[in-house]
Amino acid sequence: MDQFVVNIIHRPEMVPEYAEKVTGQGKTEDIGRKALLTESLDIFKIQQQCAHENGLKTTIQMTYASLFNDEAVALAKEHHEKYGDEIALSLLGLPCEQFREKYKTKDFCIWMFSMEDKKAIVRDVFGKFYERFGFYPESTGSYYMDADLINFIKAEYPSVKCAVATCWEEGPKAYHTCNNSWYTFMDGGPWAPWIPSKQNTHAPAANEAEDSGIVAIPHLSRDLLACYDGNGSNFGTHPQNVLRGMIYDTETWEYPYLYNLIDQYRSLAKYNNGYAYNMMFVGPGWMNKMGRWEAPYELLKKSYWDGCAYYGQLKKEGKLTDMTMSEFADFYRQKKTYTEPECALWRDILYGSNKQLFWYCDPYMRAGVNMDQGGAIFDLRPYVAKLEWPVGIGTPHIQDASYPFLMQEKYRAGYFTHYAGEGTIRSAKVCHNGEEVDLCLCRTKAHFSQEGSRRILTLDPVEIAFSDLTVKLQTVITFAEGESSIRIDRNILEMSDPDAVVTINEYMVGCYGTTEYTEDMSSLTLGVDGETIPYEYKCRELAAKDAGEVWCKLPPIDTRVSMVCEGREKSGYIKEGYAFSPMFTLGYTGKLQDKEVFTTWLKLQKAD
Amino acid sequence: MAQATKGRLNYRCPSCFMRDLDIDMFYDAQKEEFYCMRCQFIGSEAEVLRMNEMVRVRYKDMMKRFNDFEDFSE
Repeated sequence: MDQFVVNIIHRPEMVPEYAEKVTGQGKTEDIGRKALLTESLDIFKIQQQCAHENGLKTTIQMTYASLFNDEAVALAKEHHEKYGDEIALSLLGLPCEQFREKYKTKDFCIWMFSMEDKKAIVRDVFGKFYERFGFYPESTGSYYMDADLINFIKAEYPSVKCAVATCWEEGPKAYHTCNNSWYTFMDGGPWAPWIPSKQNTHAPAANEAEDSGIVAIPHLSRDLLACYDGNGSNFGTHPQNVLRGMIYDTETWEYPYLYNLIDQYRSLAKYNNGYAYNMMFVGPGWMNKMGRWEAPYELLKKSYWDGCAYYGQLKKEGKLTDMTMSEFADFYRQKKTYTEPECALWRDILYGSNKQLFWYCDPYMRAGVNMDQGGAIFDLRPYVAKLEWPVGIGTPHIQDASYPFLMQEKYRAGYFTHYAGEGTIRSAKVCHNGEEVDLCLCRTKAHFSQEGSRRILTLDPVEIAFSDLTVKLQTVITFAEGESSIRIDRNILEMSDPDAVVTINEYMVGCYGTTEYTEDMSSLTLGVDGETIPYEYKCRELAAKDAGEVWCKLPPIDTRVSMVCEGREKSGYIKEGYAFSPMFTLGYTGKLQDKEVFTTWLKLQKAD
Repeated sequence: MAQATKGRLNYRCPSCFMRDLDIDMFYDAQKEEFYCMRCQFIGSEAEVLRMNEMVRVRYKDMMKRFNDFEDFSE
């Protein structure tokens, strides 16, 4: 029977994010205001009440500030006894008078501190927790937890087994939405729980040697389509985020989208051996008595109650299991193997577009496939590199914790570009008598199946219409567990002229980066078997009949990406790109007739 | 003319929201209008609310309840 697990997490944040900005408008900053502290604790109590009255247990993530508050500590102990809530420790909610006095900074995001400060803060916060509760926590978290931070915590406090460790696709989009003032750059991670590797939090561990020792959970369960293009903080299992997105009826205060989102996550059990996951983690600042943006307090409270009530109803119906974070970590360790992928066939549930995506994540890659573009791969993260990417002050990446991409169709264009050049996408073109059709223009749908260790995406056939020929083509995409490759078969099911021959051009346009802006490509090398082109923006091309492999080595992200092929009259090629189109292209061309198949594999390796 | 303040509710600029920007507006009590610091939007509370409804136009399935996530027949 399918199992849908939910983690409900609350944090008594004595100075909630947003609250001081909102309630303190027109006043000089004072994070010790009594009214602010009292309101914050009241919100925490209401959140706990919403969960408990709906029969749900919670994980109480104590903040540093709350450890100085006797009432918050007493409440946590009482709710642990009475409801079975877990008492955990958050590295969010650091701001308070005591923290500012001690660390002389207004920084509050643990992953952006220097390593020296991270260690000092962790020892301080964990020590204070021990002082108040007499034990060390089993769960912790922040919006992001970099690998060095996790490794340090696990070494110093081995009891920790679960952590909130990233927000899915919270990066440049969130920064832009917040008027370029919200410095959480953490794109490119898993959307569902995973075991982080010791080298890079976003990249799941492939084996015990890489295992960081914790189970990571994402901050919120986010809409896997809406968040990729829009503001992530509008489309998640955070009821007030749904209000932030204005996704509710202003007359009736109804928001079926929230329930659709939860239900679509439940449906993912079909693709993950009967298991699905949700988490809800709402900071108290979102239930401010002053209201939040255009939503009055009554609506904020109602939405939180309704969210809990829906989870509670599912539990009563036997369709949901509520767990604390540490309980979930134990469950996950029993349920999942290192190489078992996370899969999500996901549809648009908001805009009415009927678009459908497929997301795949394992220790070697994260990939996104768009059925509205004929099964093109539009996002690819080479986790196989296990890129060591220190984050915080004193490192090369003070703010940027994103895992780099090889393709990202929103930041580096996809099929469509203006005037000249190409965008990042993995697709194919079918050519006949001087006409060319890119499969990106063939909208279709996919069906998921699993055969042994292979996850297979079978797309509905598409029709390609040339002026004198019609071709019915089917794409099948296969992800083989542990193989770090994506197989794509193009099957010709039917041709209006059974003797016709078409040319197929399988291609990948790639680059690397974490943002919209191009990186220096000068250190890249392209190759067709042993012949190479060092990247110098000179628009050069190289092709070879019957090539065994076309490839690109990208030293800045320690990645080697390649394509191999099986097909009639195959010819491999590479394209260098130029300054106005700073991309590279790998591809194979070949011939296809009726009932024939052309197969390619996209392979990812660590460069060294 | 006195300084602007936040309004009764903390309205965002609907014009900026349409381009995925969350910008709090400020309120000019004398003119009874909200204004945006980032773009050129100004409007009364009624205009803000009317434009917030326009924002929702893109959410064609906002009020639809889905039962099957692989069924595209509807």
